[in-house]
Amino acid sequence: MKILSVTLTYKAIGWLFALATVIAVMVDQRDVGIARDEVVYMQAGAHYASWWTDLVRGEHGISAEAVTQGFGGSSPTDNNREHPPLMKTLFGFSDLVFHQKLGLLGEVAAFRLPSAVVHGLAVALVFRFALALWGLGEAILAALIMLGLPRALFHAGLACFDAPSMALWFATVCAYWHAMTTRRRSWAVGVVWGLALATKHTALLLPFALGAHYLIVGWQASRGGPESGPPSFAARAWATLAYRWQVIASLAVLGPLTLYALWPWLWFDPIHHVRDWLAFHMNHVHYNYEYLGRNWNAPRFPWHVAVVTTVLTVPVATLAAAVIGAGVWIADRERRIAGGPAILLALSAAAAIGPFFLGTTPIFGAEKHWMPILPTVCIAASVGVVWAARRTAQTIRVPVAAAIGVLGGLVVIAAASEISVGEPYALTWYNALAGGAPGGADLGMNRQFWGVAARGALPALTAVAPPSLTSVYTHDASPAWSIYQRTGLVSRSLLDAGPEQAGIDRSQFAIVIHELHFHRHDFMIWSSYGTVRPIFVLRSAGVPIVSVYRRPPK
Amino acid sequence: VSALALAAIAVWETCAARRDAASVPDDAAWHEAAGEVRAEFQPGDLIVFAPGWIDPVGRRELGDLIPIAAAARMDADRYARIWELAIRGAHAPEALGMVPVSARDHAGVTVRRFERAPAIVVGDVLERAASATSTGASIGARAALVLAEVGFAPHRCLQISPPAGAPVRLTFPAFPLGRTLVGYLGIADVFTRRDVRTPVHLDVELAGHIVASADAGVDDGWVRFAATTPPGAADVTFVVRAASADRKLCFAAEARQ
Repeated sequence: MKILSVTLTYKAIGWLFALATVIAVMVDQRDVGIARDEVVYMQAGAHYASWWTDLVRGEHGISAEAVTQGFGGSSPTDNNREHPPLMKTLFGFSDLVFHQKLGLLGEVAAFRLPSAVVHGLAVALVFRFALALWGLGEAILAALIMLGLPRALFHAGLACFDAPSMALWFATVCAYWHAMTTRRRSWAVGVVWGLALATKHTALLLPFALGAHYLIVGWQASRGGPESGPPSFAARAWATLAYRWQVIASLAVLGPLTLYALWPWLWFDPIHHVRDWLAFHMNHVHYNYEYLGRNWNAPRFPWHVAVVTTVLTVPVATLAAAVIGAGVWIADRERRIAGGPAILLALSAAAAIGPFFLGTTPIFGAEKHWMPILPTVCIAASVGVVWAARRTAQTIRVPVAAAIGVLGGLVVIAAASEISVGEPYALTWYNALAGGAPGGADLGMNRQFWGVAARGALPALTAVAPPSLTSVYTHDASPAWSIYQRTGLVSRSLLDAGPEQAGIDRSQFAIVIHELHFHRHDFMIWSSYGTVRPIFVLRSAGVPIVSVYRRPPK
Repeated sequence: VSALALAAIAVWETCAARRDAASVPDDAAWHEAAGEVRAEFQPGDLIVFAPGWIDPVGRRELGDLIPIAAAARMDADRYARIWELAIRGAHAPEALGMVPVSARDHAGVTVRRFERAPAIVVGDVLERAASATSTGASIGARAALVLAEVGFAPHRCLQISPPAGAPVRLTFPAFPLGRTLVGYLGIADVFTRRDVRTPVHLDVELAGHIVASADAGVDDGWVRFAATTPPGAADVTFVVRAASADRKLCFAAEARQ
């Protein structure tokens, strides 16, 4: 492809998309507050990185005691052992190298860089996958549409697992596809799935998608030739299993082995520790989550949470294009590309979102928990745009490239406009179908979580707080408070007053992050301060997200 | 057709995203609307905001005119004048069905004033909490006057955690009654509502007879109950029950003329 007299290979274009994504994420995250859980992952990551460097230096061995001190403990959440370590370890090393050693990035940005890089990889993979199976127009559009997802962009800028788990989920899908269609690099399927497992437990759902696709493809291939006659069921079943047996072997052997190799906590008593890991998530507490005007914190949850939330948190034009693309895939089934990539993408999405229809799977966190559907949505959207543009080009006799450029450009601009109004409070943002953030609030959709918005209220707090030591009720920003102080976002003279009513009673200022179930914090402050009047209300698109109170003088 | 539709959706979304983000009135509008309320506010007026999610902004503007007792009211019936500050065409539940005596728009913030004959309260259990006697309450299960979150709304109420399966009787001696006794029941604390899913029950006894009852489940919020009563002083007993321990049962009640 030639752009401004520079010839770019398709591979280079993919990498440029990756680079652009990393830059976009790192720019976007600068104004995003520190998420409550992110603090835990940062601390754990720094601890893991330190453990590995100490191991290399010979300061400790790999005894059960040393591993337990680094990665485990007796409590289910000691050293954050309820989550596998891959991304946390990368967060820690990134901080060590880019912040502590080289000083190239601030502390928070350095911890977040690995998520951004892995998201760049996801966009590049979407480009490559669409390029290989559909075409350049689809590939470019799929990458841009993926980059234009406000919630995904937000999650990619956190030192958390959700965007990386999407990336490694899709990377596994790509590796599987490659192995199935070329019979090469089957080993990569298991290794990449192992990386996904070492990122988040949700990767355990992926074999359902890959397994179903394998059976479909293998069964089709086992029909036999016209000269041999129809084979028996047993013969077909055997032929199906043996169709690409290396892929099965790779998933079954190399996946768990990769997880094992990357997670020292499994080096000792692995069965027990894997059981603990899974049990933690099978019995996970249901956090509070507002959906359609009601606070949900116990099953049964509405079956439609995942559908409605997705419909309101993906740009509308992207959704519309994806519907067209899905229609194209369905209508085109007689001429589908051998092996059925559309079927694979559909199964991938179904495996990611399917559990949330059960009514018992925890729904807190919403779209971030079923993010692996997004590559499917984006590729479908790109297919839809290109199909519609081609038909238009034929009808009104304009160059196909121009039609794709105009229509695709409109879809991408729509997504960009959603990003421009949604960031940095993307958890409060809803798409135009909902009516934006105010429409989402009217519908009673979840306002936010993890306390990220507190950062936006810090300048107002700093402006009114006295220079002397002052206690602040920091609410959900409490875990991040020391980082805000270290990074200069809040004065060290503003001390975290501690939790709940005792903390409020000690405080001179109080922060409340607005979620439906957090209203009680307002009421505790009213009781203690004797006033219902906040001095500052941070809003996103007009929707209150944080209030700051000052204790009135006696 | 599909390309045209897609293009139209994309153009609409590009414009709508901007429009939606600017659709909530700004600070200048709120200051202006608050100014109108301040100019005509009278002590005892109730100020409410709609929709509920804009409440923090409203309290920032007019919170000094909202006593905690008003913000955490049992209901709005005792208020003769209600100021409603509303945006986006919303209406506060306190003013539903009422006709405003004045309404004025301030760049998107609509100020409406409602007037009506208020309920005349002759007795309030919250004000007489100190005089109440209880039976069946173990240590730690005594009623306390608190500002609690019930159904995600603030309510001043008598909070009590009855022993599992055993009733607690709370008697208000010589309680002044009017023609009606109106009250509300609910379960405080979102976390115990999550962890313990059983409902609570309340009976109101007058001269040994049950005159009103209410059940409140974890998702029911603030549940109203009412009884017709003979005017005059009488012993009123509230009998509260919970099937499980650790239920933060909350209630309030007023005798009205």
